[in-house]
Amino acid sequence: METSEAQTSRADRIDMQTTMSKSPSSPGVKLNPAESFSKMRRIIAEDPDWYLNIVPCLSDLCLQSIVSNFEENPMFEVLTPTQKDFVHERLSTSLDLQVTANMVSDGVYWKRCCEQRWDICDLSHYGNSWKRMFFERHMEKIIELFIPDVTQTKTVLDMIPLCKNYVKRLDISQLLPPVKEPQNEEDECGSEFSSDNEYDEPSMDHFDFNILLSKLTNLEELHLMYRVKQCGMNFEWKMFEMTDRDCESLAKALKSCETLKVLRIRESHLEDEKCRLLVKYLLDHPSLRELDFSHNLIGDRGARAVGKLLTRSKLEILNMCDNNIRGPGAKAIAHALCKNSTLVSLNLRLNRLRDEGGEALGKALLDNNTLLHLHLGANEVTGPTAIALSKVLFQNNTLRSINLSCNNLGVLGGKALEEAMSRNTSVTECDIRLTEVDEQSVSYINQAVWNNQSLEQKKHGRESKTK
Amino acid sequence: MEEHDEDPGEASVTSVLSENQEAESGVSTQEVKEDPKKEEVNEEIKEEKDKESEKLIVPQRLINLQRDLSALVTNIQTAADAKESTRRTELEETRRLRLEWLENDARSSKEKFEEISKGWSIDNQKLIAQELQEVLNNQQKLCSALVEDKKKLISDLQQELKVADDRYVKDLRKLAEELDLMIERMEGQINTLTRAYREEVVQMKRVHQQETELMFTKDMTKWEQSRKELLDKELENVMEWKKKVEEYEEKIHNLSLETANKCSSIDMELNARFQDAEKKGQHTKATNLITQLKRSKTDHEANIHKMKMTMMQSRFTSVRKRLKKQMEMLASKNEQLKKRDQDMTEEYKHNIQQFERLKKKTKHIVAAEARKFEEMWLMTEAELKQLVERALVIDSLIYKENFGLSWERPHMAFMEISGPIQPQKQQAVSQSFQTGQALQRKVDASVGPDTKSTDVEMYKDGTEVQSESGAEVEEGELSMEALKKVKELLCDESGFLMEDKLWKLLAPLEKDEQTIVKLCSLLCSLGFERDDMPRLAHFLIKYKHQQAEDVSVESGDFSDKAEEEETNCTPHQTSEPLDPNHVLPALNSFIEQLRSRKSPALQHASFQPVEVRDSSKDEEYWESMGNVISEDKIKLWDDAEISMKDYLEVLTEIAVLVPETQSLEQQNAELRMLLQQSLTSSVDTELQVP
Repeated sequence: METSEAQTSRADRIDMQTTMSKSPSSPGVKLNPAESFSKMRRIIAEDPDWYLNIVPCLSDLCLQSIVSNFEENPMFEVLTPTQKDFVHERLSTSLDLQVTANMVSDGVYWKRCCEQRWDICDLSHYGNSWKRMFFERHMEKIIELFIPDVTQTKTVLDMIPLCKNYVKRLDISQLLPPVKEPQNEEDECGSEFSSDNEYDEPSMDHFDFNILLSKLTNLEELHLMYRVKQCGMNFEWKMFEMTDRDCESLAKALKSCETLKVLRIRESHLEDEKCRLLVKYLLDHPSLRELDFSHNLIGDRGARAVGKLLTRSKLEILNMCDNNIRGPGAKAIAHALCKNSTLVSLNLRLNRLRDEGGEALGKALLDNNTLLHLHLGANEVTGPTAIALSKVLFQNNTLRSINLSCNNLGVLGGKALEEAMSRNTSVTECDIRLTEVDEQSVSYINQAVWNNQSLEQKKHGRESKTK
Repeated sequence: MEEHDEDPGEASVTSVLSENQEAESGVSTQEVKEDPKKEEVNEEIKEEKDKESEKLIVPQRLINLQRDLSALVTNIQTAADAKESTRRTELEETRRLRLEWLENDARSSKEKFEEISKGWSIDNQKLIAQELQEVLNNQQKLCSALVEDKKKLISDLQQELKVADDRYVKDLRKLAEELDLMIERMEGQINTLTRAYREEVVQMKRVHQQETELMFTKDMTKWEQSRKELLDKELENVMEWKKKVEEYEEKIHNLSLETANKCSSIDMELNARFQDAEKKGQHTKATNLITQLKRSKTDHEANIHKMKMTMMQSRFTSVRKRLKKQMEMLASKNEQLKKRDQDMTEEYKHNIQQFERLKKKTKHIVAAEARKFEEMWLMTEAELKQLVERALVIDSLIYKENFGLSWERPHMAFMEISGPIQPQKQQAVSQSFQTGQALQRKVDASVGPDTKSTDVEMYKDGTEVQSESGAEVEEGELSMEALKKVKELLCDESGFLMEDKLWKLLAPLEKDEQTIVKLCSLLCSLGFERDDMPRLAHFLIKYKHQQAEDVSVESGDFSDKAEEEETNCTPHQTSEPLDPNHVLPALNSFIEQLRSRKSPALQHASFQPVEVRDSSKDEEYWESMGNVISEDKIKLWDDAEISMKDYLEVLTEIAVLVPETQSLEQQNAELRMLLQQSLTSSVDTELQVP
């Protein structure tokens, strides 16, 4: 009886402590001390950390001391899995990364760190690794908030050894330009006139990736956007484009990063020259598989460079949507397609190929047997392209999806496609909306596509079944 | 820009869609695979295929739904694309127009500029001020027109820019709206799809359930049917088996009965045979046994005979040996006895001599005793007399001195007599002496026959022993023949006292032995001792005489009579034996005598000396001596003593006081002396002092 009383009294004390600790955080749940004993007990029952064995195990105490003295005397690898879990649960998230980065393995601790810093944590985007998520986002944040000439490069360099093992992808959504000095403002009037060839101005360069990419040995994806988020009324066009020096340094950095598989440079005012520069350095890249230059200002010359890249790399996915590629550029890409045997997906949406480029692509596809997805939406192509592609569809049985939406194909083109689709069995997606094709042919084409889909499904099912 | 923003959303939607499709396809294909043709040929007739088709319709509906919905969403995107493309074409067109316009403008302005510059050259030739003024004004006008043109252009361009800006803003807004719409539609799509999927799931579940139920019921019915069949079969089988079993049981029963009957009959036969055989066997056995027994009996008898013979022989020899031994032992014993006899006789002689000596001694002792007694008597008498005298003297003294009375001497006859009361006592002593002698003699007599009787017995056993002592021999001779007769008589007459057993036992013995044994038993039964035998014989013989004379002597001193009879009997030794008819009374009387004699004989022996002296008179004598002082006198003496004692006490007190008085007297004397001295001296001193 006495012991039980003692326990309850002790429990009360603990309860008091918990309530005390809780009260500041949640003032709404204020407990007046005169409240009934039973209510207090009820709270004990709800406290998940409270349990009957008040006296903790020696091992727990040891672990607790390890946790509290982790900074001075870090110990983790020697612990057993359960003990590691214990440490994970209790380690302070404010600890210096220098200590924890390479010491604490992936687990609850990093989850706690992530959840403490960010509200939304979609683990599936990070290969189900909390640690990876933490370091990638941490690194991204550092780079995004990096102000050239103000922020010490040391802050980045210090992080590299800590996170190089865990960072696989860098999704950088902004790159800040350097802070303008008052002198520059004064000179602005004068400099504006003679700005074209003056790359030497150090003030407008962004973060230099050279120092980073070569050292991130696990980096596979790099997403870049040269822009400033939430610039507000300080808008300047310069904030949304990369300088030539930026481009050069980035190109060199990309070349040095041999593990890179995916490169996305979107909305960065990428012009022909810069594109050519980048491509020049990306030629013969050992691992690059996907290239995304969408939403830029790449013209025919840039497209020609990309076409050259197609012949000298193992690109599988090329996305050049929303650029300014016209017939010549498309011709160059088409020429490259003839020889290429790796490209799987080509997206040229919102360009200005016109029939010149469309026909060229159609011809090229007659020789290509690898391309599966083609997007030629909103390219001002017309009947001739449709006819050319229908020829492709006659012959080629590898193409899976084709998008010709927002092109004035006309009735003739539609008929040609209809005929082609009647023979074709591989195309499972054919988007011909807003192409002014005859309704009948649209419906026929759709029917054929659906049939192909079902066939595809059957095949797929059979494959899965045989597996 | 906005379109790009749409992109990821779109991608996600498509990915979701594709996933859904995949999942869907997974579901549908699984069902489809069983019969791939059915998908295309929807209208197959069979029931099962109906279900299949039903199942297939659902995914088709879903696929359509997905398609339509995704189309609905992507429509917006494509529309936006289309708009963008048209905008671009417009933009390009306007740009082209603008460029043209600008080019035209530039050309016209160039012309104007050239005109102006030409005008400047003309101006140089004309030096007239008015002309110059005119030219200047003209030039000024031209310049201002140019500037105005430019300004207009700029303002137009600016306006265009403004319009473009506005449009851009509008576009942005529109795009935003579209985005919202897209999101909305996406959400709607998701909702509808999920609902559809749920429905499909429910339907599938239902279908599956129905199917399973149907199959279950089918299977159940099948199962039941088969079970029933099986049960029926089993039952039939069981019944058959039962029947068979019953049949077999019956058969077995019959068979068993038959066999049992057979067995029993065989058993009976066998039993009968067996019994016969047994009987025969028993018979033969019995005969065998009998013969065997006979043989064995004869053998046994022969053996026994032999054994007996041998035993007899051995016994005979042993008996012979024993006889020899006995003979030897007898001879040795005889010798021993002879020796002992001699020793005894010698001892006897020695004892007699001793006895003689003792007799003399006793005579002497008796005389000495008498003398001693006399002396003692006299001495005590003298003492007593002196004491009496003293008492008398004291008495007289008391009388004379105390009371002052005259004392006269009482009469005392015994004072004259001195010594024992002589006359009577002398006689008694002599008498006693005689009786002692007689007794002595009688003892001798009793001893005599004792030895004799033993001798007689020994003689009767067949051993001839010569009696020696003369007197005894006489007596033995006397009784020898008579005794024998008496014994026989006794045996015959008192036969009734003996037990029948003894008679039987004694039957084979000789007459003499019989008589002896009989006598022994008889005497034992009557309580006689062996010593009494000859006495009895004498008594019987004497009894005859007494009867013949007169039966006068009855009581009195038996010993004396016996003495007399002893002496008397001797001449009648060889008289004829007494009448058998008197034997019993005689015996009776003898027994009575014997009993009476045994007790007084002892009394006599103990009271001999008291009888010798007459103590009654002695007592009287001594008493008289004691009563010299009478009772009254004793009382008187006692009183006197008391008074004397008182007197003595007074005297003693006086005696105690005497020394006191003497001392006082002495003191007195001394004091007197002192007084005298002092009287004398005081005078001196008085004289001297002054």
